[in-house]
Amino acid sequence: MLTPDLHVNVGSLRLANPVIAASGTFGYGLDLDDFCPPEKLGGVVTKGLSPRPREGAPMPRIAETPSGMLNAIGLENIGVDVFCRDKLPALRERRAVVIVNVFGESAADYVRVIEHCESEAGIAGYELNVSCPNVSAGGIQFGHDPRTLEELTARCRVVTARPLWVKLSPNAPDLVGTARAAAAGGADAVSLVNTILGMAIDPLRRLPELARTFGGLSGPAILPIALRMVYEVHLALPELPVVGLGGIESGLDVVRFLLAGATAVQVGTATFRRPGVMLEILAELAAYCRDQGVERVATLTGALEARDA
Amino acid sequence: MVTRSDLAATLAQRSRLTPTCYSVRFAFDAAIPTAVPGQFVMLRPEQGDRPFWGRAYSIAGTGASDTQPTMELMIKTVGPGTALWEQLPLGTRARIVGPLGVGFPCLPAPRSVALVAGGIGLPPLLFAAHRLAGTDARCDLYLGAATAAELIEPQRCRAAAEATGGQLFPVTDDGTAGEAGLVTEALQHRLAEGRRYTAIWACGPMPMLRAATQVGERWDVPVHVALEERMACGVGVCLGCIIPTSDGAHIRTCSEGPVVDGSLIDWETAC
Ligand SMILES: Cc1cc2nc3c(=O)[nH]c(=O)nc-3n(C[C@H](O)[C@H](O)[C@H](O)COP(=O)(O)OP(=O)(O)OC[C@H]3O[C@@H](n4cnc5c(N)ncnc54)[C@H](O)[C@@H]3O)c2cc1C
Ligand SMILES: Cc1cc2nc3c(=O)[nH]c(=O)nc-3n(C[C@H](O)[C@H](O)[C@H](O)COP(=O)(O)O)c2cc1C
Ligand code: FES
Repeated sequence: MLTPDLHVNVGSLRLANPVIAASGTFGYGLDLDDFCPPEKLGGVVTKGLSPRPREGAPMPRIAETPSGMLNAIGLENIGVDVFCRDKLPALRERRAVVIVNVFGESAADYVRVIEHCESEAGIAGYELNVSCPNVSAGGIQFGHDPRTLEELTARCRVVTARPLWVKLSPNAPDLVGTARAAAAGGADAVSLVNTILGMAIDPLRRLPELARTFGGLSGPAILPIALRMVYEVHLALPELPVVGLGGIESGLDVVRFLLAGATAVQVGTATFRRPGVMLEILAELAAYCRDQGVERVATLTGALEARDA
Repeated sequence: MVTRSDLAATLAQRSRLTPTCYSVRFAFDAAIPTAVPGQFVMLRPEQGDRPFWGRAYSIAGTGASDTQPTMELMIKTVGPGTALWEQLPLGTRARIVGPLGVGFPCLPAPRSVALVAGGIGLPPLLFAAHRLAGTDARCDLYLGAATAAELIEPQRCRAAAEATGGQLFPVTDDGTAGEAGLVTEALQHRLAEGRRYTAIWACGPMPMLRAATQVGERWDVPVHVALEERMACGVGVCLGCIIPTSDGAHIRTCSEGPVVDGSLIDWETAC
C-alpha cells in the first residue's frame, strides 16, 4: 500500500508534514502534550510573544458564535525571556519544530523579541503577528498599511537569517497589497488568515458579550473567507509560499487549503473542541492521499482544476 | 504527568432530579483515568457543532456497568448546551475530555469536612463524600437550594453523608424544606454551636463561594472552592477562563482550578 510522503517545504524550511499548530491555540508547545505531542506535527507556533509579559484583556474574553467563536484575549503572554528560559529547552529536547509568534507595539518591540531568540538554538523561524496597533504611529495596525508592513518586515529581516513569516490580517483593506509588501520586506512566507473582526451581543442584558466589545472570529465560520484569501494571494504571487489557516477541522479541509495554493496549514480553534484533533487530521490527510493516489502531498499545492466555462 | 483524554462514550441513562436538573450516566468504550472529586469534564455530542464548544461539568461519580466504566454528571438546564442531553436519545455518542483541572486536596488526619453545596454545585461534593466514605474522614453535607422542589436528591445525599459518619443539613432560601436561609448561614450556625471542621469544601454560585470563604476565615478553617467560568477549551490553552487572584494576577479556572484555596481569590473583582 502507498505510504504518502507528507513532507513539505515552506521556502527553505522543511516540515515533516503540513499540519502546524496555530498561535494562541496550543499554548507554548507542550501544554497539550498528553493529547498531541508537538514533535508529531509539522510545527508548532507559540502564543504571541512580546518583549515583556502581558496581562491581557479583562473578562469576558471569549464568546461562542454559530460555527465559531470570538476572542479578545488581549495577547496575554509570559514574555520572550520566560519562554526561552522555561519552555524552549523541553521543546528543543523533543525536537519539535518551533515557530515563535512575535508581536509588539512598535517595530522595535518585534526586533527585540527576535534578537532575544536569535541566541537560542531550537527555534525554526518566526511568524510576525501584524494585527496589532502600532502605538508609535497613531495606532493603525501594522498589517493594514503596506508601507508600514514592508518597513516592519525589513527591520525584522536584517536581524535574522531564520525563516520569517508574516501573518496577514484578513481585515486589511488591500490583502494582496499587504502580501506583496511582506514579500518586498523579505518575508519567506505569509500565513493567512488571522481572526476576522467581529462582535456579539447579549440581547437580554443589552450588552456586548466581550469586555472589549470587538473580538476576532475564528473556527469553521471563517473557512470560506480564508480559502478565498489564500487563493487570491497565491494567484497574485505564485512564488510566495502561503501557510493557510482559518476554520480547518479535518483532513479534507487541509486538502482544500492546499489546492487553493497553501504550502502548509495551521489548525487553531479546532483544538479547543478536540485537543487531539491534529493527529486525527494527519491520519485523514494520509488516507486521502492513499485513496486518491497522491504520492507526495506537496504536489497538491495550487493543484486546483479549472472549471469549464 | 497529568492524564487527560478525549474519550468516546455513550449516553446510557438519564433521570430527573428536580424540575430544572437531571442526571446522566455515560458508558465509556474503554478504561478511563482515575478522577479526583472536584475535577470536571468537557462534554459534547460526537456529531454536530451546535453549540460550538463543549460544556464543562463536574464529575458527580464514577462506576462500572457490566465491564464498561461509567460516569455520572448532574446538569441544570440553563441554555442550549445544558438542554441538549435532556433531549438526545439514549445511545447518543458523546466525546468526553477529562478528567480536567485540579480537584479537592488530600487532607491530613483527623479529617472533618464541611461540604457546602449551592444548587447544582452538589456533584463534586457528592463525589467527594462517596470517596471519603470508608476513610477516617467525617463529612457533613450542607445542601442548599432556592426551594424544596429544587433540593437535589436529599435522600441520596443523606445516605452519602451518613456513610462517613456525618450529617445532612438541608437548607432552602424560602424555608420550604430544612433550615430557612442561605447554606453558608447554616454552616455559620453549626460552627457557632460548637461544631468543628478541619476543612470546608464549597461549590455553587460565586457569591456563595465568597461567603463560604469568609466563614472559613472567621473560624480559621481552610476553605477550598470549586469555581466556574465560561470555557472554550477546558484544557488551558485559550486563556478565556481567567479569574483574578488577590495578588493582582489571575489563574486559569480550568487548569489552576477549578478547585482553589478560597483565600487566593480576589472576590471583589471576581463576583
Ligand atoms: C468547572 C465547571 C464545572 C461545572 N459543573 C457543572 C455541573 O456539574 N452541572 C451543571 O449543570 N453545570 C456545571 N457547570 C456550568 C455549565 O458548564 C454551564 O451551565 C453551561 O456551560 C451553560 O451552557 P448552556 O449552553 O446551557 O447555557 P448558556 O448560558 O447559553 O451558555 C452560554 C455560554 O456561557 C457559558 N456559561 C454560562 N454560564 C456558565 C457557567 N456558570 N459556568 C461556565 N460557563 C458558563 C457557556 O460555556 C456557554 O458557552 C460547570 C462549569 C464549570 C466551568
Ligand atoms: C483564543 C485565541 C488566541 C489567539 N492568539 C493569537 C496570537 O497570540 N497570535 C496570533 O498570531 N494569532 C492568534 N490567534 C489566531 C489564530 O492563530 C488563527 O489565526 C485564527 O484563530 C484562525 O484559525 P482557526 O479558525 O483555525 O482558529 C488566536 C486565536 C484564538 C481563537
Ligand atoms: S478554558 Fe481555555 S484556558 Fe481555561
